[in-house]
Amino acid sequence: MAYFKDADEVYATIGKLFEDLAEDDELAPKFQKANTIVQYQYREPQSQITVKLIEGEDGQVDFGDTPMEPEVVMSMDADTAHRFWLGKVNVTVALARGQMKAKGPVAKILKLVPLVKPVFPRYRQLLEDSGRRDLLEAS
Amino acid sequence: MEAGSALDAAPLRGFKDFYQYASTTRVIAGRDLLDSAGFEFKKEGARRVFLVTDEVIRGTGLVERVEAGVTDGGLEVAGVFDQVPQDSSTAVVERCAAAAKEAGADSFLAVGGGSVMDTAKVADAVFTHGGGAAEQEGFFLMPRDDDGMGKPFDIAPLACIPTTAGTGSEVSMAAVIKDPERKVKLEIADFPLFPRLAILDPESTRTLPAKIAAATGMDAMTHAIEGYVSTDWSPHQDARSLHALRMIRGNLERAVERGEQDEEARGNMLIAANLAITIALGSVHAMSHPAGAQFGVPHGVANAIHLPHVIEHNAGGGSDIADRYRDIADVFDVSEPEVGPALAAYLTELIARLGLPTRLSEVGVPEEGIPALVEGAMGDGTTLLNPREMGEDEYAELYRRAM
Ligand SMILES: [Fe+2]
Repeated sequence: MAYFKDADEVYATIGKLFEDLAEDDELAPKFQKANTIVQYQYREPQSQITVKLIEGEDGQVDFGDTPMEPEVVMSMDADTAHRFWLGKVNVTVALARGQMKAKGPVAKILKLVPLVKPVFPRYRQLLEDSGRRDLLEAS
Repeated sequence: MEAGSALDAAPLRGFKDFYQYASTTRVIAGRDLLDSAGFEFKKEGARRVFLVTDEVIRGTGLVERVEAGVTDGGLEVAGVFDQVPQDSSTAVVERCAAAAKEAGADSFLAVGGGSVMDTAKVADAVFTHGGGAAEQEGFFLMPRDDDGMGKPFDIAPLACIPTTAGTGSEVSMAAVIKDPERKVKLEIADFPLFPRLAILDPESTRTLPAKIAAATGMDAMTHAIEGYVSTDWSPHQDARSLHALRMIRGNLERAVERGEQDEEARGNMLIAANLAITIALGSVHAMSHPAGAQFGVPHGVANAIHLPHVIEHNAGGGSDIADRYRDIADVFDVSEPEVGPALAAYLTELIARLGLPTRLSEVGVPEEGIPALVEGAMGDGTTLLNPREMGEDEYAELYRRAM
């Protein structure tokens, strides 16, 4: 059973998280050190989020089609993405099992992994605030 | 089980939530095996073999012996590419793949050290699937059935005859190639990159210079130690790592000092390097990859320099980590209670006895280079597998200590 029933649900949760992060005075500059554009391509439900992480530039988060050209493309089931933001996915294991695929200069993405830990509680909070407590209990 | 975040330090003991282990290369080891290279490679489907090597090895006459062995087994030598440099690059890989196509080859045979074998691996991927060398970058991204989620497609049969006892590339699914434009080492790992056949014959390391035997031997040592303490550890790899360390203990110094006269030590080091290899490494490799890409420090030398500093740092990160290092220290009869500093000191002495440099400043790395090295280490895949969480400050401090 997929956690999200359609792309809009993905955008309202994971997408909203990216939008919040882009505006975060403390975290946004850290993520922008990656100097890249990352596209997350999700399956089940089919959805796509493109995130600009460029130092000194305003953040940009696009849902679905985008004029931005991604340098790194991460693809996975939306469920895996959800479990990742709950802090329940080990990235190296997910890559080894093919549950996550990262195309492009992988170094840029790997540098971000240690930065995401403070984001997990925010995602939980976001789910609670947006009435999606049902999604908190992912295993 | 109520786990914390998957990014919290992974436990280094107990029953793991998940691990995966594969080692699909057929290994033959022993004496007088070069003559039967063709006889053995035929069993892997090779017909027209493309040899990949470097000029130094070709100069020793080893390649001619292997060529004779190939034809003796009823196979053809389609061509020889001997232009692999010490630190191979994407451009070399592409030239090698094109030459193999041109020669009408159907299989690859690498005769050389890590750079030669990694070149052959990535050239084989380019040869089979097309595209540029840099496009092959990534972990578990090679073409697969079922929309990329099914069985990975095979590449052309690859056999390896290692001429150094160190990298273990002849039995690993990984390859590291320099991308000179981006000044990074591209890391490529996936199941099809396991060579079909590895031939371990001490004849192939007979003329190996002591300095290179020492540096590559320390690469094997580093694989065994880092593999054993990695968050990506597994009981399968533990068994290999610990036995590799026992074999290194008994044979590395002998092989370096006695070289040509000690076939047994050379043969055992080839096997130890095989046992030691894993893609689950840690911060020593994370620090050494940029040192190689940015300053040309040979991989084994860089590992020898960084290893003691990383051990001391990691072992201070908790009793679980220190316990893992204690198992390693036991192999070397190092029994002081403070395992980190004791094991580091033991290895520093060993490295000096082997005639290797112990400081980055001795191998042309300037203090001003540290920020870029830190950047490189942070982006290296092995950073995530180090038992103690690493950040920019930690890497900067370790590089400073290694100066
Ligand atoms: Fe290595």
